[in-house]
Amino acid sequence: MGDIKLTADTLKPVPVWRRFLVPGIILILLILVPVFASEYVVYVAVLAIIYAMLAGSYDLTTGYAGPLTFCHGAFYGLGAYASALLTIKASFPFWIAFPISGILVFIFAFIIGYPALKLKGHYFAVTTFFFGYFVYLVLLNSAKLTGGPMGLRGIQAPESFFGINFATLQGSYYLTLFFAVLFLGFLYFLVNSGFGRMLVAIRENEDLAEATGINTALFKVLAFSLGAAIAGMTGSLFAHFFRLLHPTTFAWMTSEMIVIMALVGGLGTLIGPIIGAFIVTFILEIMRFAPEYRYIIWSLALIIILIIEPAGLMGIVRRLQRRKR
Amino acid sequence: MLLQQIINGIIIGSSYALIALGLNLIWSITDIADFAQGGIYVIAAYVAYYVVTAAKLPFILGWLCAIVIGGGLAYLIERFLYRRWTGKSRIQLLCAIALFFLMANLAILLFTPKAKIFPAYVQGAFNVGGFTVSFQRVVVLLVSAALFVVVFLFIMKTRMGKAIRAASQDRLVAQVVGINIHTVNSTVFVLGGMLSATAAVLISPLYAVFPAMGDLPLLKSLVVVILGGFGSVAGVLVGGLGLGLAESLGSVYISSAYQHGFAFFVLILVLMFFPKGLFGRV
Amino acid sequence: MSVLLEVINLRKEFGGVVAVNDNNFVVEQGSRIGIIGPNGAGKTTTFNMICGAFKPTAGKILFQGKEIQGQRPHTISRLGIGRTFQNVRAFGSLSVYEHVLTGILAHDLKLIPTKEQRERVETILEMTNLVKFRNTTVKDLTIALQRKIELATALGTNPKLLLLDENMAGLTYVEINETLELLRKVNKEMGMTLIVVEHIMKVIMELCEKIIVLNYGKKIAEGNPHEVANNKEVIEAYLGEESQYA
Repeated sequence: MGDIKLTADTLKPVPVWRRFLVPGIILILLILVPVFASEYVVYVAVLAIIYAMLAGSYDLTTGYAGPLTFCHGAFYGLGAYASALLTIKASFPFWIAFPISGILVFIFAFIIGYPALKLKGHYFAVTTFFFGYFVYLVLLNSAKLTGGPMGLRGIQAPESFFGINFATLQGSYYLTLFFAVLFLGFLYFLVNSGFGRMLVAIRENEDLAEATGINTALFKVLAFSLGAAIAGMTGSLFAHFFRLLHPTTFAWMTSEMIVIMALVGGLGTLIGPIIGAFIVTFILEIMRFAPEYRYIIWSLALIIILIIEPAGLMGIVRRLQRRKR
Repeated sequence: MLLQQIINGIIIGSSYALIALGLNLIWSITDIADFAQGGIYVIAAYVAYYVVTAAKLPFILGWLCAIVIGGGLAYLIERFLYRRWTGKSRIQLLCAIALFFLMANLAILLFTPKAKIFPAYVQGAFNVGGFTVSFQRVVVLLVSAALFVVVFLFIMKTRMGKAIRAASQDRLVAQVVGINIHTVNSTVFVLGGMLSATAAVLISPLYAVFPAMGDLPLLKSLVVVILGGFGSVAGVLVGGLGLGLAESLGSVYISSAYQHGFAFFVLILVLMFFPKGLFGRV
Repeated sequence: MSVLLEVINLRKEFGGVVAVNDNNFVVEQGSRIGIIGPNGAGKTTTFNMICGAFKPTAGKILFQGKEIQGQRPHTISRLGIGRTFQNVRAFGSLSVYEHVLTGILAHDLKLIPTKEQRERVETILEMTNLVKFRNTTVKDLTIALQRKIELATALGTNPKLLLLDENMAGLTYVEINETLELLRKVNKEMGMTLIVVEHIMKVIMELCEKIIVLNYGKKIAEGNPHEVANNKEVIEAYLGEESQYA
């Protein structure tokens, strides 16, 4: 039984067209969803795509660079509220608030990440957990600013672009899909670039990476902050799609679900967490008739996954591939 | 008013200290930050609640059932889950958090999110210099203090206690000198489970029983462990009481909404200057 | 020959234990130095201080005239000091090719590795006789091969000074000769200065021009192999009754 990490299998270089075959098919299917499916399915698909971005960005921080974090939901929430407040209170247009929320979350994550990432072992994980909880408390208790437990309403949809109306479900869907492809594509490029190799080195053996000349502290903070920033911008997309924000949407249970999605798919593979996000979101929706059971089932599922194949779905795929050879 | 705050602070602080004591022993021996203790805390509270209100049995029995179930759950978790992944602390941590997640939601499912009022052990109060102090709170203080003494003596005087201390300093060497690490692990987990259960039962009459009741005490107790130091009973006591007092007084003089955040700030401050915790050791 | 590395009054205490006890030595550019001594003599601790893993309790380390003690390992690596570890360290899940490439990228980060960088990987793989393993996952290889990969990766960072901490432990006679040839080559052709910690006397005697002997943290002898092998204190502490190299 392995560990929860996978690395890009460098044994046999995969021809380019094969590497993009599965994601390509998925993308085409996704583009066709609003054409053939009911409004409800489209709505669920939007959520799935949002979670795919969250799980994918989480993979950058934890799957590639290494440290386990439990506050991704908090970054998602910070971006959501920042974007909402910028448009409501400061009359920013969405298209300005959107990138600014990403920048704000990046800076925030960098500031807390820099000291925090020096912590060893579980100290860091516990600190992120507490941080996530703390953000939730702040959001809940700042009623004047965030509406607190009453929620934040009155968020507008993104302004039209080239005549496309983003207030409709279809418009929102394609907007979200567009940015998902953009962000996840960027992440794909990043993790396969030199930058990604540095992260992998740090994850594999931090001391050796440091001795080889890699500024491990800087790279870890960058990965952490970039992952956070993407989560923040995803939050912005969510805020202007759902148009109602409540602190519980961003509490630690959300962070935990993101972790579960990433683990189901397989940390450190990027495509794994994306697939994991889709699977978990759809199953959660199927079970919406029994909400109390949903989290119970998924926490049990996580434990079972940890017992059987900590490297998730992609781990199972790799095992099968190895047997074929 | 001030005296009341101080007493509240000490009481809540002693509950942190009790949980933290168990967490401390577990963490220092197995390198696991056992989030599952938060779940055990919640389950134990409900067990005691139902024993006392539904079965209408005396409080002592409620407490006994709670610690049996608490200790038992902790034992099973260690034996059949954590032990599978010896050395793989990331998986163990993920499992601990998953268990916490599971138990908290199980409570929501089984017992509804509505808070339940736990009846007090003792009625009545007495006056101290113009302030009213309920006997309930006195009982909590006395029991907590007694437990700390008991655990302290256990750790210091008994053979198992010595084995625990040895293992917490160096797991490998402890095994080399013949200490059965499995027995030690099981013991600290059972102890931790019983301590968390006791903390829950002591606090419930004062603050009600609800599924999310474990969240904050668990986090605060983890902070206390990090601050108070590994293998140090005194450190945990000081840290726990200190945090409880700071929160209680802070809620009056600074802000009641952010008293929970206080622990977080303290954590960040301490870790900035002492990345290995106040008393060293990762 | 100019001085590349200077260690001045270097001291390291761990609690009550003095691991390195006010040592002084000088390493000239282009030389091949050996550091020997019984286990616990302070050899690895000295390396750790030179490379930034530990902060000295006292003393200075000068590299190319500048003080480097207390700096972070990656900074020192980028200044031109490379190192291999006593307990072999590797990026296990990578292929050998990727492993060496990582070392090169660490010092010259490019989002997409350049042709020159990729060619350098090939050159290094050839130099170290690892070409046939280029696509094998490092953790699937023997420890001896992993040591070689560690060396190859360090070479990829183009160091001016290379520290080898018992890099040849467990190698066969043939493998040792191979590595010695490689080291002599990089020393002669690339001017790389070498400091080697070894217990294998063959390596020390055949490779090193100067040997420093440590015992209980203190330098007890310094000189060429012949001098050191005949030094009474050294013989007592380390080499045993009669040295065949005298």
